[in-house]
Amino acid sequence: QEYTFKLHHFLSANSPTHTDTVAPWARAVEEASGGRVKIEIFPSMTLGGRPPELVQQARDGVVDIIWTVNGYTPGQFPRTEVIELPSVFVNDVTAANLALSEMFESDLAEEYKGLEVMFLHVHAGQAIQMRDTEVRRPGDLAGKKLRIPTRTGAWVIEALGASPVAMPVPELPPALQKGVVDGALIPWEIIAPLRLEQQTDYDIEGADKERLGTTAFQMSMNAARWAELPDDIKQAFRDASGPEWLTEMGRVWRENDDKGIEMAVAAGNTHITLTEEETQAFRDAVAPVVDRWIEEVSGAGIDGAALVEKARALVKEHASAQ
Amino acid sequence: MIDDPILFGSAALGLLVLLIAIRMPIAYAMILVGGIGVMLVNGSALVLNQLKTLAYGQFSIYDLSVVPMFVLMGALASHAGMSTALFRAANAWLGRLPGGTAMAAIAGCAGFGAVCGSSLATASTMGKVALPELQRAGYDGALATGTLAAGGVLGILIPPSVVLILYAIIVEANVVTMFAAAMLPGLLAVLLFLGVVALYATLRPAAAPRGGALPAGELREASLGVLPVLAIFGIVLGGIYGGLYNPTPAAAVGVALVWLYGALRRRIGWAELGAALRETAGTAGMIYLILLGAELMKIFMSRIGLPQATADWILASGMAPMTVMLLLLAALIVLGCLMDSLSMILLVIPFFWPVLTELNGGLYTGPEGAFGMSTEELKIWFGILALIVVELGLITPPVGMNVFVISSLAPGVPMGRTFRGVLPFFGAELLRVAILLALPGLTLWLPRLLAG
Amino acid sequence: MSASASRTGLPLAVERAATLWAMAGGALLLLVVAINVASVIGGLFGKPFAGDFELTEVGTAVAVFAFLPFVQITDANVSADIFTQRAPVRLVAAFGLLAALVAMAFALLLGWRMYLGMLDQKSYDYTTAIVQFPHWIAFLPILASIALLALCAAVTAAERLARIAAPGH
Ligand code: NA
Ligand code: NA
Repeated sequence: QEYTFKLHHFLSANSPTHTDTVAPWARAVEEASGGRVKIEIFPSMTLGGRPPELVQQARDGVVDIIWTVNGYTPGQFPRTEVIELPSVFVNDVTAANLALSEMFESDLAEEYKGLEVMFLHVHAGQAIQMRDTEVRRPGDLAGKKLRIPTRTGAWVIEALGASPVAMPVPELPPALQKGVVDGALIPWEIIAPLRLEQQTDYDIEGADKERLGTTAFQMSMNAARWAELPDDIKQAFRDASGPEWLTEMGRVWRENDDKGIEMAVAAGNTHITLTEEETQAFRDAVAPVVDRWIEEVSGAGIDGAALVEKARALVKEHASAQ
Repeated sequence: MIDDPILFGSAALGLLVLLIAIRMPIAYAMILVGGIGVMLVNGSALVLNQLKTLAYGQFSIYDLSVVPMFVLMGALASHAGMSTALFRAANAWLGRLPGGTAMAAIAGCAGFGAVCGSSLATASTMGKVALPELQRAGYDGALATGTLAAGGVLGILIPPSVVLILYAIIVEANVVTMFAAAMLPGLLAVLLFLGVVALYATLRPAAAPRGGALPAGELREASLGVLPVLAIFGIVLGGIYGGLYNPTPAAAVGVALVWLYGALRRRIGWAELGAALRETAGTAGMIYLILLGAELMKIFMSRIGLPQATADWILASGMAPMTVMLLLLAALIVLGCLMDSLSMILLVIPFFWPVLTELNGGLYTGPEGAFGMSTEELKIWFGILALIVVELGLITPPVGMNVFVISSLAPGVPMGRTFRGVLPFFGAELLRVAILLALPGLTLWLPRLLAG
Repeated sequence: MSASASRTGLPLAVERAATLWAMAGGALLLLVVAINVASVIGGLFGKPFAGDFELTEVGTAVAVFAFLPFVQITDANVSADIFTQRAPVRLVAAFGLLAALVAMAFALLLGWRMYLGMLDQKSYDYTTAIVQFPHWIAFLPILASIALLALCAAVTAAERLARIAAPGH
C-alpha cells in the first residue's frame, strides 16, 4: 500500500459501530482506491488518551483519522449542533445525515478547523432508558439524574426538570448499576454492546419512534494529511463517503436500534411507546431548547434561527420511508 | 528491527528493565522508553503533539479520582487513631493465634479492599496502619512487609475493583456479574493468605512473636473502640451497594466522616490535617506519574503492533484452547513484572479477548464452546483469572508496585527481603489460579445463581 | 525521605515552596471532596449538584499536578534498589543524577508542550460539558506545577552531583 492511515476511536472492536460502520467504511475506501490505501483501525483508545482528546489528536496529526462524538468536545462544533435539536431531528436518521452533507460546505465547514471531514452523521435519536422509573409524562423525570454526552442533550434534560450528567458512554453501565444516574438519553442501539438491559427496566420513546433530538458524530482526517494526498486518493475517500454511504448508515443505525430494543424486551424490559397525546406533552416541554440554542449560538455570531429553518427543510426534503 | 514488532518490543522491554535496575523511578523509566519508542517508530512530532493533552487527560480520569481520596481517608484515619483502634480489635481476636498480628493485617486489607478499588491504595493505606504495629510486635521485616504487599492485592481481588470495571467495559460484560464472580475467589484468597501466615509462623516462630490472650475487659474495650470505624466503613460501603453513590463520592463521604471523627476526638487539628495532606501528595502524585508512564508504554506497544502480532501468531499456531489460556495467563504474569495492572488490562485485554472468543467458537457460542462453557461465561471466568495474574505482577520482582509502596513505608527493610517475604503468598496465588482453572464452577457459581 | 534537615538556602526555599504548593493542591482536593459530599447530600433531597463529575475531574487533575514537585523534592517516586544494594555510593549517586536529569528534562518538555496545549484549548474553546468551564484555565496552575517540578528536579540533580564530587566516600 502506498498510503497508510491510523483510524482511532473509543468504542470496542465488538461494538456495532465498529463492525457495521467504521470498519465497512474503511474497507470501502481501500477498495475505491484500488488497494493503494490501507486504513488501520485502533478501537478502544488503544493509541492513548481519553475520548475527549480525539479531536485534538486528529488536529495535531497524532492519528490520521478519528471517529468521535462531536459533543465530547463541547462548544467546538456549535453550528453542527442544529441537527441534534428536538423538532429538527425527529426520527429519520438518513434524512438527517443527508441534510448534514448538504449543509456542510455552506454552513458548517468553518468550525472544523484543522480537520478534513469525511462525513458527519447522527444516531437513531435520544430515547429514554431508565433504571427503575416508569416514564409517561415529563413530570416523571423531575429530579432524576440522566446521562447525556452533549450540551444540547443537557438542555433537553434540564427542560424536562431532570439533572444532566455528562460522561463517555463506556462509563454508563457502572454508573447505572450503582445508581449514580437514574437513566440516560441514548438510542436503543447501545443496549446490545453495553448490555444496558441488565441495568434498566424501562425503555421509552415517542409515537412513531419519535426521539428527543439526536447526537452528531464525525469521521475526520488531519487537514495537512488530507492536503498532501493526490486527487485520485482523495476521490476514493469521497466516493466511499457519499449519499449512498450516508443512506446505508441510516439503514444500519435503524436496524441496530430495532435489534437493541428487541433484546431489551426479550430480557423482560418494558418498552413504552408514548401515545400521540403523551408525545405532544414532551414536545411542548422541550420546545424552549431550540430557542435556548439559538440564543446561545448568537453569542458566537451564528444565525441559529436560519440554521434551524434550513435544517428542518432539508430533513423534510430527504424524508425517507420509515 | 523497527519492522519486527516482537523483536523491537522485546528490546524496549529489556531497556525498561535495565533502567529500572539502575534505580530510575519506574514512572520515568516508562515515560522514557514509551516516549522514545514512539519517536523511533512514528517520529518526534507525534509524541510532542500528544504530550499537549495526554497528561491532563490521564490525570482527569473520573474513576481515578477515588485514589487520592482514599489515600487521604487512610492518612486521616491513622492520624485519628482509627487504624490503631481497628488493629487493636483485629489483634484482640486474632493475636493469640500463631502469626496473629499478620493475620489481622490480612483481615484489615480484606476489609479495606471492600471499600477500595485499588491495590496500591490498599497496600499504602493499610501499610501505614499495620506496618508500625507489626514492627512494634517484633515481627520479622520480611514477613511484615511481605504480608502487607500481598494483602494489598486484596484491594483489587475483593470488589469493588477499578480494574474489574475496566475489564467489564472492554469485553462488554456486566459489572454486577463480574463483581459477583470475584466474590468466592476473593474469599479463597483471604483464606489462603491466612493459611500462609499460620504456616510461616508455625515453621518460624521467631519471625512472628505470639501475643498473649487479653483479659476479657480489654477484649471488649478493643472491640467497642472499632465500632465508629465499622460505622463509617458501613456508610461508605452501604452507600455504594445501596446505589446512593459511586466510589468517588463514597470516598469523599469517608474523608469527611473520618475527619469529623478525628476532630471530635481532638485527634485531628490543622497540623494533623497538613500531615495527612502531605502524605496524600506524595502517594497520589507518585501513583499518577506511574499511570502517565504506563499510558505512554501502551501507546508505544499499540503503535508497533506488539499485541496484534502476538494475537495473530497465537491464532495461526493451532494450539489447544487450554494451552492458549495458560500461555495468555503466563504472558500476563511476565508483563506484570513490568507494568501496572490497570494499564495492562487496558493494553492487553482488547487483543487477548478476541483470540479467546475465536477459539471458543465465536461471540454467541453456547455451553458447547471449546472451553466447555458459553462465551458469555468464558468472559467472566477469564476476567477473574486475568485479574488475579495481573495483580500478581504487583508482588513479583523486579517491578512489584505493592512491594515498592510497602518498601517506601519501611525504610529499615531492604526491598529484597520484602520480595522474599512475599514469595509464600505468591505461591498461594499460583495455587489459587490452579484451583480456579480446575474448577470454573467456583467462579461461575454466584453469577449463575444470580442469573437464575 | 525528607532532606529538609540538611537543606539550606535556595534548596530549602524550593522545598518549602513545593510543600506549600502541594498543600494548596491538598486544599483543592478537599474542595473536590466537599463538592462530592454536597452532591451526595443534595442527591438525598432530590437536588443533585450539576457538573459534579466534571468538576471532580478537573479539580483532581489540578490537585495531582500540584503534588508532583513535592514528590520529586521528597524523593517519593518508587524505584527499585534491589540490583544496586551493594553498588558504590558514588555510582548510586550517579544513577540518582541520571534520574533527576530525566525528571528535569521531562518537566521542561511537558511544560513546553502543555503551554502549547493550553493555547489550543483556548483558541478552540474546549470547555466542560455542563458548567462549560474553559479547560485552558486549569492549565495555568498546572503549568506552574510543572515549572516547580523542573526546579525541584534541578535541585535534586545538583544535590546528587555534589554527592558524586564530595570527597571521603
Ligand atoms: Na476492592
Ligand atoms: Na511485578
